[in-house]
Amino acid sequence: MSKLLSKKGLFLCMAIALAVIIAGAFIVGFVGFNADSTQKNFTTVEISDFAYSSHDETVQKELYDFCKNEIGSKYTVNDYTLLEGQTGGAVLQFVVSGTPDAAFCASLKDAIVAKNIEGVSSELVTVSSHVLENAPYYNYIWRTAVAAAVVAVILFAYVAIRFRLGMGVATLIAAVHDVLVMLALTAIFRIPSGVALAGVAAFGLLLSAVVNMFVFGRMRRDFRTEEYKNKSVKEAVAQSLNNSKGLVLGLSIVLAVVIIVLGVIGAIIGTDLTFLAIAALISVLVSAYSSLLLAPSLYALIKEKSDAVRAEKAKYNYSSDKKKDKSAKAVEPAGETR
Amino acid sequence: MGKKKSVVLIILVTIVLVGLLFISVTPTFPVKSPYNFRSLLSIVDLGSDLGGGYSVVYYPEGVISAEQYEGKVAQYEELKGTEDEISDPSGEYVAHGGVYLSQEILEGEEISETFLAEFDSAYAAVRSRFEGKNFTEYSVKLQDDYTIVVNIPDVSEKESVSTLFNSFSYSGSLLFTDDAGHEMAGTSENIKSAGVVGSGDSGYAIVINFTKAGRAAFSEMTGAMVNSSSDSSSSSSATMYIRVGDNDLVANGISVTSQLDQDAIYISGSYSTRESAETVACMINSVLNEDAIFTRPLTVGEIYSYGPTMGENAALIMACVVGVAILAMIVVSLVRYKGMGLAHVFGFLTYALALILCISLIDGIIVNIAGLLAIVLSAAVMCAFNFYAFRNIREEFNTGKTLTAAIKSGYRKSLALTIDAHIVLFLASLVIYLIALGAAQYMALIFMLGTVLSAACTLAVTRFYFYMFLAQPKNKIAFCNFKREETEDE
Repeated sequence: MSKLLSKKGLFLCMAIALAVIIAGAFIVGFVGFNADSTQKNFTTVEISDFAYSSHDETVQKELYDFCKNEIGSKYTVNDYTLLEGQTGGAVLQFVVSGTPDAAFCASLKDAIVAKNIEGVSSELVTVSSHVLENAPYYNYIWRTAVAAAVVAVILFAYVAIRFRLGMGVATLIAAVHDVLVMLALTAIFRIPSGVALAGVAAFGLLLSAVVNMFVFGRMRRDFRTEEYKNKSVKEAVAQSLNNSKGLVLGLSIVLAVVIIVLGVIGAIIGTDLTFLAIAALISVLVSAYSSLLLAPSLYALIKEKSDAVRAEKAKYNYSSDKKKDKSAKAVEPAGETR
Repeated sequence: MGKKKSVVLIILVTIVLVGLLFISVTPTFPVKSPYNFRSLLSIVDLGSDLGGGYSVVYYPEGVISAEQYEGKVAQYEELKGTEDEISDPSGEYVAHGGVYLSQEILEGEEISETFLAEFDSAYAAVRSRFEGKNFTEYSVKLQDDYTIVVNIPDVSEKESVSTLFNSFSYSGSLLFTDDAGHEMAGTSENIKSAGVVGSGDSGYAIVINFTKAGRAAFSEMTGAMVNSSSDSSSSSSATMYIRVGDNDLVANGISVTSQLDQDAIYISGSYSTRESAETVACMINSVLNEDAIFTRPLTVGEIYSYGPTMGENAALIMACVVGVAILAMIVVSLVRYKGMGLAHVFGFLTYALALILCISLIDGIIVNIAGLLAIVLSAAVMCAFNFYAFRNIREEFNTGKTLTAAIKSGYRKSLALTIDAHIVLFLASLVIYLIALGAAQYMALIFMLGTVLSAACTLAVTRFYFYMFLAQPKNKIAFCNFKREETEDE
């Protein structure tokens, strides 16, 4: 049977999550997310060849290899992009660490000409270095944040109405927890990310909604049966959770496997994909944890409290009856009988 | 369902699914020259992370590229000593990083304050124009302090990339005018906003909404245009131009045949795609903000294309990964649920093919890495709810019910949660689609489609297939991979 967190354990988990979220918020506030290759500032060495498309593949490769070696002998080459023009020219863009100056560019051009690669001439080749500074735009972030907030409210309202109020509260807390913890961990571990991170956050929110619906949907069904009516809250929640655990774990494992494979492929073809896969994987793990441990424990706590309050209200209040009797006797005039 | 009917249905459904699978995933191959067969997957629009994009550099007046400078030097060397000799570029330009600055924007060794202020407003305007286009992902970068580099996804099949880059470089303010000199300023006092609407067979139209003052001014201007046109020629039609600076936003102008006294005007005829109309609407909206108007002209450099930022063949490799995952899921479901698994496989294929149809044929859907996650999540949700129903059927069967009763009861038990979850997911993705921008918005659109299809396939299609297959076997219980424990009567 699944185990639920004790009250202390639950508060500890929530406190840790809160600390992670606050730490992440500070990091994002002060230094922002770690930008990936599409968003970060960088320095490039660009070799533009006006006759690039007229060369055969061997010449193109020779030019690329030569430039890479020459640049690599002085600077670290971090990335490479081939920009192909519409008039047959192309730019071989090398992203480097350091700041190559005009003298380096001139020496590289001389070296290319001296190499005497077939068809590559000094008239057709230009070498320049550039410093690129990204202009971040935040409109999409706050718009996505507003959308996520509205989704969380809808999620709470729907689950509270169709399921139970306590389940609605637990689902809401789990959804907010999942998205914020994923973003915070991405910021804390400095996982490089671009604009697609907003998409991953939306993915995390929807995943959290799905898995919590599975857990609480099963509970809603189970709690209607006679078998569960005589159990304590914790026992009932834990047993019902056991019934939905397989499906939630299965869903999470399938998603995790696909994401891990994408991440591994990313490590081979382009590291941005790996970084995004890590963020998505965090999202899957956090959602699985919150739906199987945090949200049910939270719901059990809420239900215990609400049941206790209900039981308290349902108790027959003897003391108030005695008071009523006393006050009734006091009002009755002496000698009067009913 | 009768056996014969079931056989016919199985054959029909299989033929349809195989046909759809063929047009969806078959690699491109040549048919009658010069035409190629292109599968639905190959026409899906991809974001720049999976499909690459276009890049351009904007040079403000007074700044030139290294290539242009070297061209000037070569020209100078060639014409030196001749009658056509030009001035020495080394005296006219100063190197700054990878670009060259003209002496005219320098004050001594410093950049002039006027240039800096003009460039700053140009930079802000370009950023706001590209932000208004709402690409899945794009970047606007400052290169060497005084040029602007813009990267956008590949939109070449939807609009002309060069028109897009050129339009967004226009400097100056918005003006409605004609050849006779009638004018109306396109400021926020006269215009509320511009947008795009469908206009039937003629594609899309730009709608320009006027303020009260704008409506009166536009009515007066068009009245004067028509009157002056009928005075000067036999025709009562005038040509109105919408200009930003010296550039026409609408090619060849707009024909005005009568005085237009209305809250909005619709300009159609030249926009076959929503995106091409959106570019003009974005430009109009951008120049309504006075802070986004700049005066220094921007020159558009050569437009370059680049490969996917996630790596070469990223989309193909991801499609293969998803394909392998689907194969694994098919094997697992067949082994675990046998006949029910077969119904699930058919249901899933229907779902997947319908999703591919929607993604490739619906205008405005762009798949990027977040969109791919949405596809995977929605497919996983579809499978999970089918398996949830199968588990309920198995549980019901184990209570001693007949197979038919167990199926009915199992589906009834899973109905509430399946509907609830799909409604919540649909509402959530709808809200994200309506409010969010960029990657999250496109991701939500794909997930919304996936949710609708998942609901239909889980609640109706898979169940229908299940009954269709169930009509065939003699031992239906074994077909569903169930075992009934025989209890001996005492």
